[in-house]
Amino acid sequence: MSIEFAAELRVGTFSYSAEFAAKDEILVLFGHSGAGKSVTLQVIAGLLRPRGGRIVLDGDVAFDAKSGINLPPQARRTGYVVQDLALFPHLTVAQNVAFGIAARAGREERIAELLAKLRIAELADRRPRSLSGGQQQRVALARALARDARILLLDEPFSALDEALRSTLRQELLRLRSDLGLTILFVTHDLREAHLLADRIAVFDGGRILQITDRETVFRRPASRRVAELTGVANIFAGRIAESGGTDLVVAIEGRRFSCARPEGSAVAEGDDVDVAIRAERVNLRRLAAGATEMENTVEAVINEEFAYGATHTLRCEPTHGGPSIEAELASRPYEVLGVATQKRWLLEMPSADLHVMPKERAPGA
Amino acid sequence: MPGNGREEMSRATGIGSDRSAAVAVAVLAAAFAIFFILPFAGLVDRALDEGGTWDALRTSEARDALVLSLWTSSVTVVLAIAFGTPVAYLLARGHFPGRAFVDALIDLPIVLPPTVAGVALLTAFGRRGLIGEPLESLTGYSVSFSSVAVVMAQTLVAAPFYVRAARSGFAAADPQLERVAYTLGASRLRAFFRILVPQAGPALAAGIILCWARSIGELGATLIFAGNLQGKTQTMPLAIIQAFEGSSLGLAGAISLSLFLLVVALGVLVVFRLVAARGGEPR
Repeated sequence: MSIEFAAELRVGTFSYSAEFAAKDEILVLFGHSGAGKSVTLQVIAGLLRPRGGRIVLDGDVAFDAKSGINLPPQARRTGYVVQDLALFPHLTVAQNVAFGIAARAGREERIAELLAKLRIAELADRRPRSLSGGQQQRVALARALARDARILLLDEPFSALDEALRSTLRQELLRLRSDLGLTILFVTHDLREAHLLADRIAVFDGGRILQITDRETVFRRPASRRVAELTGVANIFAGRIAESGGTDLVVAIEGRRFSCARPEGSAVAEGDDVDVAIRAERVNLRRLAAGATEMENTVEAVINEEFAYGATHTLRCEPTHGGPSIEAELASRPYEVLGVATQKRWLLEMPSADLHVMPKERAPGA
Repeated sequence: MPGNGREEMSRATGIGSDRSAAVAVAVLAAAFAIFFILPFAGLVDRALDEGGTWDALRTSEARDALVLSLWTSSVTVVLAIAFGTPVAYLLARGHFPGRAFVDALIDLPIVLPPTVAGVALLTAFGRRGLIGEPLESLTGYSVSFSSVAVVMAQTLVAAPFYVRAARSGFAAADPQLERVAYTLGASRLRAFFRILVPQAGPALAAGIILCWARSIGELGATLIFAGNLQGKTQTMPLAIIQAFEGSSLGLAGAISLSLFLLVVALGVLVVFRLVAARGGEPR
């Protein structure tokens, strides 16, 4: 099951243009609300007509602006699940699932099979309003799958659920994907959810895809400052390439020099303005040995703000001898072992492999 | 009722007097209630006193009025559903120029005195009306003073009650459900009947009941446009009027027809409450 997608449209002042392809995977559409994620799903489902572009589902052209093809939502066979689920309140669970099954022959078996797959067989005769949030969720998924959907379009389906339920359903979704070999487009604004589910991530912002690639790359090697901000990178420094001769680049950041891994596929030259990103959890804390001086890529700093999140601690650090302010994240165990509660002066190490250099974005309007 | 201590305190401090306000409210409410109940009590009392109430209902005049009222109001309801439902759907879901205008126009007959509606109908469809005159000269057919005119008068006055109720029922339903139904392969028609109508069901039922009750009681527009001919255009309210103008029905006939309409109205109210209560159930 696959999708090739390219579409552009304009709704009021919102302009949208995106292009991607997905096949047998979970592609997470990630971004803030209004970034264009839900629009993407509606366009694929056939509920919103783009001005231009081409959408191919499993080899069938569902939309093509050039040749004027525009299949109605009824003919697209997409499994569309919206945030508030939109279960039919007057129908039972079995009737909800049956709604999308056209053929009478084998309908009962198909319903039973789907209910069993989603582990809600015992709820067949109940009405949606009498079900818990997680159960309703499963009904919505079963209904979406009932038509042999070629692609599952999930629009923040877990956002109304509590954390425990969300994680069970995420596991369920991963299981479904491997059982059925589904292509799933999953919209979310939740970083953790994106990270847990995604094979690949498409980062949406202002009606555009800023970056689309595998999960690790999006989180560790964001394409731009904006992607880094959206994916929760705590440290983004403005810098300038000081040397580009060696294997690593040397970047000057607030008067200090840091060696940084050379980014793949983007050409940078000496004197270029760049942004350098490093996630808070990639910053190491080293003890200040007596008489130790700052080594390469280390900054002596004092923790001046701390936030305890239970499992992790976020430390805001100010450099002692100049340089950028740095945020570090530490799991609670090393936090205790290192004795960070009492010792506030540390050497912060930023490994060159984790310092990610991004070309400077042009200023808006430039 | 406030306790004595509190009463004394409020007097002592001079802050309001709860008790006299409560008394005033009770007296006003009671007077109002009595004013509403007395006429109906009078009607029932008179019907019992006079005797022959049942016989009066069996005169040809009363029976004709009853039959005519029942069938014309039923046809009106059917017409209101057939033509009003698409209008209500468009008003709730459609985006078209002049929607606000149509919306206001639908409400017009609700606030308009029915006699005005009757005059308006006459000027359009009457023997010398806008459409009525050419129609009659071409085909020799005229709707005025026929049962068709009764239905037209009732539809103009009563159908807006259905349209308005249906519109709010459709508007209150979650459009997301229909959109999902489309992705599940449902045609627009199937989504409408299987998804939207059940959701708007209580509102539609309420609209039907209101529309029917309003057509049963329609007087002014019918009297002016359709006239007052026994068996043809004389519905129950018109027969009651006629009774006071000296028809053979007499006062007893008027009373028994009124009593009948009162019972119908009470029945409608009860059904309406039941439907509304069902619609208000938490989902």
